[in-house]
Amino acid sequence: MKARDPSRMRDQRGMASFAVLLLAMVSVMLLSLMFYQNYAVYVTSEAFDSFRSQLVEKNGLAQIVKESVLAIHETAVTNSSNSLQTEITNRLGSMTFSSGVAVALNTPVASLPGHTFFPAGTAPVASNAACFSISPRGVGGMGNLLTSLVMLGPVADLGRLTVTFNRTVSGSAAETRTYTVNADLWSVPITNVNMVAYGLPASGQTPSAAPSLASGFFSAGVSRLVCTSNNPSNDPTAYPDLYVPNTPEQLPYQFRNVVSFSWNAYEYVWSSNYQNALLSAAGSSNTFDFSASSNPAIPGVTYSGGTLTITLASATSPTLAVVDSLGGGNVVVNGSGTSGAAFVLLLRNTAGGAGKTNVSFSGNNSRPVLLFAENCAVSFSGSPQFQGGLLIDPNCTITGTVTWFGHFSFYSLASPFPNFHLTLVDNAAVKTALAPLAPRILLVSSTAIR
Amino acid sequence: MKPVSTTRNQAGFTIPEALAYVFVFTIMMGALTALLSSLFTSQAHPQVSYNGRIYEMAPSFTNLRQAIDLHAALATAIDQADSVVILGGSRSHPSLDPTGPSSALVTSFTPTALTAMVGADGFTAFSSWDQRQLNATQFSGNLTTGQGSADFTFLTVQGLSRITSIAQQRRFTMMANGQNVVLYEITHQAVDWSSGSAVLTVNATTGTTPTYFYRFYYLANEDTWSQAPGASHYWYRSDSTWNRNQEGPAKVVFADPYIIAGDDPTAQINSVSRFIYFVSHAQ
Repeated sequence: MKARDPSRMRDQRGMASFAVLLLAMVSVMLLSLMFYQNYAVYVTSEAFDSFRSQLVEKNGLAQIVKESVLAIHETAVTNSSNSLQTEITNRLGSMTFSSGVAVALNTPVASLPGHTFFPAGTAPVASNAACFSISPRGVGGMGNLLTSLVMLGPVADLGRLTVTFNRTVSGSAAETRTYTVNADLWSVPITNVNMVAYGLPASGQTPSAAPSLASGFFSAGVSRLVCTSNNPSNDPTAYPDLYVPNTPEQLPYQFRNVVSFSWNAYEYVWSSNYQNALLSAAGSSNTFDFSASSNPAIPGVTYSGGTLTITLASATSPTLAVVDSLGGGNVVVNGSGTSGAAFVLLLRNTAGGAGKTNVSFSGNNSRPVLLFAENCAVSFSGSPQFQGGLLIDPNCTITGTVTWFGHFSFYSLASPFPNFHLTLVDNAAVKTALAPLAPRILLVSSTAIR
Repeated sequence: MKPVSTTRNQAGFTIPEALAYVFVFTIMMGALTALLSSLFTSQAHPQVSYNGRIYEMAPSFTNLRQAIDLHAALATAIDQADSVVILGGSRSHPSLDPTGPSSALVTSFTPTALTAMVGADGFTAFSSWDQRQLNATQFSGNLTTGQGSADFTFLTVQGLSRITSIAQQRRFTMMANGQNVVLYEITHQAVDWSSGSAVLTVNATTGTTPTYFYRFYYLANEDTWSQAPGASHYWYRSDSTWNRNQEGPAKVVFADPYIIAGDDPTAQINSVSRFIYFVSHAQ
């Protein structure tokens, strides 16, 4: 075998060095390639995470603005007397952001529009909302939690409130943002929902379950609202999928508008403040008091043989009140065969357990009337057809048969229906007629823009 | 005098050799740089064809970029929606369909409106089940059969009836090069209503629909996830009397073409998708 010439191997060392150098360069490049690819994945993912974090941030701010508005103007027994700016600042202070992120409220914040309704003031004119419209402003894009309630009848647009926040991130100027929160305020008559079963006892406990109703009780097109416990052990219609036991029970935010509508508003309606305001609106000239030694002559009201008869066709006052502070009074309400201006009829019994006021409805009624019945034994005779709104308090009982066109609500965990045969019918004309007189709920939709 | 090779004299390169080396080195560096830059635009990966569409093997950076674009658009559509409808997945109804997987809309069907919802009761938008029932006539003949657990349709809706986007996920299996593979197709069709009528938005690159898409595949034994792709419905309540078919947020998991590792020290570490949504029906 011929030996290899050592001088030739020496001759190849330069080439070998170059090959090693080239291999090293290729290795470095491949490692760099892998590094850059992983870095690109990391940066891309990081950017997407940041994008989604900002979505969460801005929606959190939107919720802060909404809750701040409701704290001041919600139709509820208790409201805050703070300014909107103070309410937002307080809530913002308790919000936690990612490390290095700071969000500040731009001041001054515009003041809120008024939320007035009868009898404290004149309610803003209501008209039917549209999803997509320029005038009146469409509600499309304001969220179904709002539109599901706003589209049920005439509502008043209280306008848009805009609040801005500055977002800064330490060491990253590119992450600076201005979040703009638009809060859209709507005044919604309580009578737009055909039936509200509500029940927030004074203890503040969540009602366990909805009153039971016969299958098919509601005909098509009849809206109804009830908000009860999500605990399956309280309510057989509830499922445990997302239920987290807490004391007191915490409902998901999805139910916020429903709580505004079906709990807080009715707590307010049956508070002494609102009831006294109705009494004041009627005034002494349109209030009949069973315990008074004498009463004024009120159009449409006659008293004979211990029975007060109210003829709805003849009533002229926008608010008519009957007070029965001792209990046991008898009232007959005769329906009107012809239409006429809607008005409020307050049947107020403050006697408690001393005795209910007996209220009997007879005859069909085509004149929309908004009835508040407190501690009354209500009965219907002759299966009348009646237009209006009937709100009964927790101490009322109700019997008979009626076809009711409009709104009915009751404040009890127990069903009032064992001896009450109600056929409820949606009626747009009745909703429109009652809208200027009905208590209003402030509903807010807040959306934020990055 | 004839030049003497410095290499041969073990003293370095001659000028011609150095020039040649620099030339070759430049060529190599240029090729590698081109490779590096092309990686991010057209990463070369094994591909398979299924139903006339190309699926790229994961992990795929190209698909990841497309996925980010798709999910940025979808997240924005969800953010601006009044409600969402999610068809497919498990527990579409707690008692009537507690297990699933329920049917989704076929991908060839691209509705731009829920016609039965025009003027309908907004409370029905609190549940995809109610939406499925209400729009049964429109959906009839356009629902999948034999669907898998990863298949779903995700509609975003403005007002009561206007569909603003349709996202679809489908999972297929096939044999490729003697191996079982799992293919995922995710599409997002945006619907532009700014003119007052529905216009399908086309893809900026292809000029055709869908607006966004990504398609990739995993080897079947790599298709393991800590959160399996698909839709899961959760329920607060089902109460037809009081009109309270109230679904809670639905968990929707889109397959990720460039998975990240899970972090569970007590169990086998499975993949986690970046694209998980927990979204309420009524917004």
